[in-house]
Amino acid sequence: MKVLEAKNLTKWYGKEVLALNKVSFDVDEGDFFVLIGPSGCGKSTLLKLIAGLLDYEGGELYLKGEEVKTIPPHKRDISMMLETYALFPHMSVHDNIAFGLRMLGKDRSEIDKQVQESLKLVGMEGFGKRSPLELSGGQRQRVALARAIVVNPSVLLLDEPLSHVDYRLQRKLMEELKLLHQRLGTTFILTTHVQEHGLSLAETLMVMNTGVIEQIGKPETVYRRPTTVFAARFVGDINLFSGEVLEKRNGRYSVKTELGELQASADEGEDYSGRKLAYGVRPEAVVVGKDALKCENHLQAKPANTYYFGNSVECMFEVRDGIALKANIAPEAVALPTGGGGVTLGWHAGDAILIEKPSVIEGLNIEEVIYGK
Amino acid sequence: MTAQPSPPAAKTGARFRLGAYSTYMLLIPGLVLSVIFLVLPLAIMVVVSFYTTAPSSTGYLAIFTIQNYVDFFTSPQTGTLVLNTFSLAFIAAIIAFIFGFPLAYFLTFHIKSAALKNYVITLLIVPFLIDWSIRTVAWIGILGKAGIINSTLMSLGLIKGPLEALLFSRNTLYIIWLQTYVVFMEFPIYLAMNRIDPDLINAAKVLKAPPRHVLYDVVFKLSLPGIMAGFIFVFVSTLGDFITPNLWAGGVQTLGFSISRYSNNFLWPYASVLSTMLLIIALIILVIAFKVVNVKKLFYE
Repeated sequence: MKVLEAKNLTKWYGKEVLALNKVSFDVDEGDFFVLIGPSGCGKSTLLKLIAGLLDYEGGELYLKGEEVKTIPPHKRDISMMLETYALFPHMSVHDNIAFGLRMLGKDRSEIDKQVQESLKLVGMEGFGKRSPLELSGGQRQRVALARAIVVNPSVLLLDEPLSHVDYRLQRKLMEELKLLHQRLGTTFILTTHVQEHGLSLAETLMVMNTGVIEQIGKPETVYRRPTTVFAARFVGDINLFSGEVLEKRNGRYSVKTELGELQASADEGEDYSGRKLAYGVRPEAVVVGKDALKCENHLQAKPANTYYFGNSVECMFEVRDGIALKANIAPEAVALPTGGGGVTLGWHAGDAILIEKPSVIEGLNIEEVIYGK
Repeated sequence: MTAQPSPPAAKTGARFRLGAYSTYMLLIPGLVLSVIFLVLPLAIMVVVSFYTTAPSSTGYLAIFTIQNYVDFFTSPQTGTLVLNTFSLAFIAAIIAFIFGFPLAYFLTFHIKSAALKNYVITLLIVPFLIDWSIRTVAWIGILGKAGIINSTLMSLGLIKGPLEALLFSRNTLYIIWLQTYVVFMEFPIYLAMNRIDPDLINAAKVLKAPPRHVLYDVVFKLSLPGIMAGFIFVFVSTLGDFITPNLWAGGVQTLGFSISRYSNNFLWPYASVLSTMLLIIALIILVIAFKVVNVKKLFYE
């Protein structure tokens, strides 16, 4: 069942800035819905719009089938954790969490019980009497989360919940958010600008780009079958080349690119013959060394640079003058020739990604988008 | 090779101590001023309140007595005086709050343009560029027998003759005090409100708070330091103002005016008693006020 429906939502800031340009999407009940995009893409605006903190100029927004434009935030069945956490500094942790329940008119013993439960839920038992000002960043975040959850909303909005804590805490909180979502069954809508967070948290991922939706889908789908160059770039790393499809034969395309003729698997029923599009391959699909010769696509390249990440190594290769190709390989597999020697790179046709559109934004030239401005 | 690097040479102990001394030395001018012009006069005032009034009724004899205080506590007038003085000041502060709070709220949350904000603030300050007496007398033109209000009401036929009570009553006093002191209430509240993170208001809204609770639980409570400061400014200023009540409030008896009358007649000991008591009661009220509103919680930052 759909809990939230947006149809052609449009939001202007003044007369100059179009923050949301006819945004339409549905959120299923119980989903973990992640909005991902660069800063300034409108994801926070969209969240505030859903919460009722901002008004929209055009389109419709339905919460459980009801248009919410005229419904003030406190009457919507929604709760939100703000990016800055916004804990009330003049109230104790207990009173902060109790605030929403107090506004709902719950009686005191009920409030106390629920506050204790939610403190336990986020692992902050015994912190009730503290002032939020005495807490660390991670603890504040937990309190903010407990405060948003305790009112038991149909939809919980989380605005960049992971952006103000250090890396290790991010990982821990991601796990906890996921567990919490499973336990509560509430619909979560979360924004992030970090692709790893989006990919690993989301059940449904929505990629945004300056006021428009680039792609909505399961994280695997968005990663493996990006529909636009922007989405491919923003979610994960990718080698992209401009190409022209020469022909389709035996379920495979031959694509003419600056690297020569490359192979890509074709889906049933589609035919891109003669089209100009983007040819992409993820760095982890690139095979280095002798095995590369077994792939449908292989070429010679010179190693340019390596970046060691512990569990993998990112290698930059120069295929031809100025044309770079990136590969992610296991550390033990690295035995790159030094002193200007060449190496064979390859990838399977099935790992190639063909992308038709540069972006959902109209009028962009695909080559310009691929090779940057 | 593993020896610890030596600390930079410039920060020697001697220089550091000198710095500490010079910091304290900065306090001296202010300290001297407040001792000469505040502590000393107040001490003299308290001492004089225990002196004996001279038989000639002018001046005093340096003989210790508590008779002045006995007179103060037994005089039938005292109760009225104290009640008048403090109720006038208290009500004036409340009225200033009633007008100052919405003004500060409007200025903080509704005027977005900085230029317009500055313009409004300037408008609020402009009256202070005019002398007190002129500012006060100007009210005759508005509230007087032939003033704007009376003449308008008469020409509209709503009243037959001019309303006398407009000019010489407690209401007049409150209006004049409001005009004079509302800025002292409004500015501290404005400053406190400016420090409120707008996201706290957003948080209250998404946590089911209807507008009146957003206003009370977040905006009002977080403005309390400013409200307290404003309240003290207005309360203390109106408490000490003896000319305005005397001129405009139709002969309301206040402590301030009694003090000026006794001292004009050189009855220094009794004037000192009244002054000391005014000070003590005011201090007690302020201490209670600070206790009721948890000050430690207010200045959390």
